[in-house]
Amino acid sequence: MNMMAASFAARVATPVIPVGRLPSVGLRQQLLWTARVRVLWLLGGFALIALIALLRIASLGFAGQAPQRTSMEDALLPPRGEITDRNGAPLARAFPAYALWFEPRAMGDTGAPLVRSPEQVASDLKGIFPDIDEARMARRLASGRPGYLRRRILPEEANRVFGLGEIALEIPRETDRYYPQGTLAAHVLGYVVEDEGGKIGMEEVLEKQLSHPDTRSAPVALSIDVRAQGALEDELRRGMLATNAIGAAGIVLDVDTGEVMALASLPEFDPNTAGAAGAKNVFNRATNGVFELGSTFKPLSIAAAIDAGVVRDLGKSWDATPIAVGRRSIKDLKSKGATLNVPQALVYSSNTVTARVADALGAERLRKVMIDLGMDRRPFIELPAKGKPIWPQGPWSRVTNMTVSYGHGLAVTPLHLASAYAAMVNGGIWRPATLRKIAARDVPRGRRVFKESTSHRMRQMLRMISLYGTGKNADAVGYRVGGKTGSAEKAGAGGYNKTSLVSSFAAAFPLDAPRYVVVVVLDEPKGTVASSFQRTAGYTAAPVVGRLVPRIGPMLGVQPDESRDVDISDLRYLVDKH
Amino acid sequence: MMNRSQARSLGWAAVLAVCFALVVVLSFKVHAVRSEVLLAERELIALQRETLLLETEFETRSSQRQLAEWNTVEFGYEAPRAGQFLEAERQLASLGETLGPDAPSPIRLARAETTDMAEAVSDAPMRSPVSGATVTLASASSEKDAGEVFAEAFGDFLIEASPIRPARAETPRASVKTFAAGTGE
Repeated sequence: MNMMAASFAARVATPVIPVGRLPSVGLRQQLLWTARVRVLWLLGGFALIALIALLRIASLGFAGQAPQRTSMEDALLPPRGEITDRNGAPLARAFPAYALWFEPRAMGDTGAPLVRSPEQVASDLKGIFPDIDEARMARRLASGRPGYLRRRILPEEANRVFGLGEIALEIPRETDRYYPQGTLAAHVLGYVVEDEGGKIGMEEVLEKQLSHPDTRSAPVALSIDVRAQGALEDELRRGMLATNAIGAAGIVLDVDTGEVMALASLPEFDPNTAGAAGAKNVFNRATNGVFELGSTFKPLSIAAAIDAGVVRDLGKSWDATPIAVGRRSIKDLKSKGATLNVPQALVYSSNTVTARVADALGAERLRKVMIDLGMDRRPFIELPAKGKPIWPQGPWSRVTNMTVSYGHGLAVTPLHLASAYAAMVNGGIWRPATLRKIAARDVPRGRRVFKESTSHRMRQMLRMISLYGTGKNADAVGYRVGGKTGSAEKAGAGGYNKTSLVSSFAAAFPLDAPRYVVVVVLDEPKGTVASSFQRTAGYTAAPVVGRLVPRIGPMLGVQPDESRDVDISDLRYLVDKH
Repeated sequence: MMNRSQARSLGWAAVLAVCFALVVVLSFKVHAVRSEVLLAERELIALQRETLLLETEFETRSSQRQLAEWNTVEFGYEAPRAGQFLEAERQLASLGETLGPDAPSPIRLARAETTDMAEAVSDAPMRSPVSGATVTLASASSEKDAGEVFAEAFGDFLIEASPIRPARAETPRASVKTFAAGTGE
C-alpha cells in the first residue's frame, strides 16, 4: 500500500513528459501547425487554380469564339469575278493554286535551312518535277535566298513536296486567274497581270466590276457562246492552215440584238501564260485590223441605190464595159458580157456595174449610207482594241465614190462589215455590236439605215450569190446561207501588192428569216491544193463558212430545213436564163 | 430547427441554383452547337472549293479545242445534215406515205388524243415489226430490268441521267397473262 502510494506520489511528482523535454513538445506542435497551414495554402492554391481554370472554361463557354470566325460569304468571295459565256460555261475564273516557295528562315535558327543537303533535296525535287535542272536547283537551295522555286504546282505534287519533310519548302496557296478553255476566245477575254489588273479584252473593260468586292461575287456573262466560238476557231484555223494564210478573223453576230456570238482572231495567244511580259499575237484582226474588204461592199452599195430609188427595175441592163475615170480604169476581173443587170452584177461580182450604179447614186448619198453604217469611226464594241478605219476625208470625188462602192479606198475592220450586213438583212436597223449578254428588253433600238423592202430584196440577192455565183462553196444545205465574197489586194508601200490578198466572205443565215451574220476574213491566203490553187475568197473564205454554219446552226437555234428557202422566183430568171 | 421563412429562403436559393445551373448548361450547349455550325460551314467552304477545283479540271480537260482534237483523231463526227432533223411528229409521219402521181398533198386535221388512248398506246407491249408478235428482250427475261442493273452498277443518282431506261418489253409472265386474256392475237 505504501509502496503504491509512494510510486503514485513519484508519478505525480514526475510528469509524463519529463520537464526537460517540454520545449521540444511545443516545437513539435508548432511544426505540426506550420505543416497544416502549408497544406492549407497548397490546397488553397490548387483551389484557386481550379477556380481560374473553371472560370476560363466558363468564359470560353459563354463568350468564347471559335479560334477563327469565318464567314462563308467572305471565304467564298473570289478575289476576282468570274467571266462566263452566255450559257454559264466559265471562261475565266479565280482558281486556287499552289506555289512552291523556298523560305530559308523557316527553321527559325541560324543553322542550315534544310534538314538534308541541298543536293539531296534537289534530287528529291527532280523526282517530283522531272523538268527541273538538278544542279541549278541545288545551287538555288544552297544560296539561301527566299523566293519561288515554282510558280504553279499541282495538288498531288504539293502533297509529295510536303512528304519530303523539309520545313523550308513552303506551299503557299495562291489564287490564279485561270482560263479553262485555254486559247479559246483569248482576244475577247484578254489576260490579267498580277498587281496591275486586266489587259486587253473584257478583263480590262470589266476591271472595276470584276475586282470590286460588292460586284465580283456574281459572274459576268458575255454574249459569246463557247461552242460556237470553238467551232469558229476550229474552222478558221483549218481554213488558215489549208490556204497557208498568215492570219484569219471571224465573227458570228446576232442580227437582231447585235450580240457577238463568236469572235476570233488567229493566230491566237494563251492568256494562261501571258503575264507581265505580255504575249505575242495579241493583235485582234477582227476588231483592230483594218482591211479593204473588196467586193463584200458591193451589196451595201446596191442596197443604198435600191433604197434611194436609183435602182427600181432590177431587170434593167447596165453597161459592163471598162470605165475610164480620170487616169484610172475600172474593169471586171472576168467579163461576163457587155451589159449586166443588177442581180447579175452581184452574182458575177462586177466592178463596172457597181461603180456605175454608185455613180448614178452620187457620192454624197453613198457617203451618208456608209456613215449611217458606222464606217467612218471605230467599231462599236466594248473591247479596247478598236481599229480606226481609213476613211476618205472631205467630200468624196467621183473616183472615190466609185472605188468605195466595190470596197476599195475605204479600209474597215471585219466587225464594221458584220454590223453593216446585220443591218442590211435584219430589216434595215443598224445596232451596235456588244460582247455583253443582253436581255430582250435591253436590246438597243438602233437606227434605220435601209427600208424593210430593200432589206428583203437584198436577202434574195445574197441568196442568189450563193446559189449561182461566187459563194457556192458556202451554201450549207438546208441553212439558206447567202453571202458575198470579197478579194482585195493588200495596200502596201507604193500601191497595191499584187501577191498578197485579203479574202473575205460575209454571209447571213437563214436568209428567209435572218438570225446570224458570219464574216470570215483570211489574211494573205496562198493558192494551195486545198483551195484548188486559188487565192480568191470563193475558194478560201467561202468554204470556211460552208463548214462552219452546219456546226453552229443547230446550237444557235437554227434548224436546217431543205424544204424551205428564200423566195427568189421573181429574180431567178434575171440570172438563171435556163 | 429551421423556421418556415428560413426554409423558404433556402428553397428559393435551391431553385436559383438549379436555374443558374440550367442556364450554364444551356449556354454551353448553345456554344457547342455554334461551334458545330462553324465546323459545318468550314466543311462547306472546303467542299465548295473542291467543287470549283474539280469543275475547273473538268472544263479544262473537255475544252472545245480538246474536243475538236479528239473528234478529228478518234471519232470523226460530222455536223448533222439537214435531212437528219425533223420539225415535228407530223413530218415524221409524212415520211411513211407514198403519194400517187399528181396527188395533192394530203389534208390533215388536228385531233386531240384522248388520255385512255394514249395510255393504251404506252401500255402496249413492244412488237416485232416483222412478225407482229410481242417481243421479249433479253434484259426483260432476267429478273432485274436494265434500269435496275444500271442502278446497281452506278448508283441510283445516275439513273436519271443515263440513256439506259427500263425497256418497255413484256416479261414472259406478263405476256402469258396477256395471251390468256385473249386480246385476239
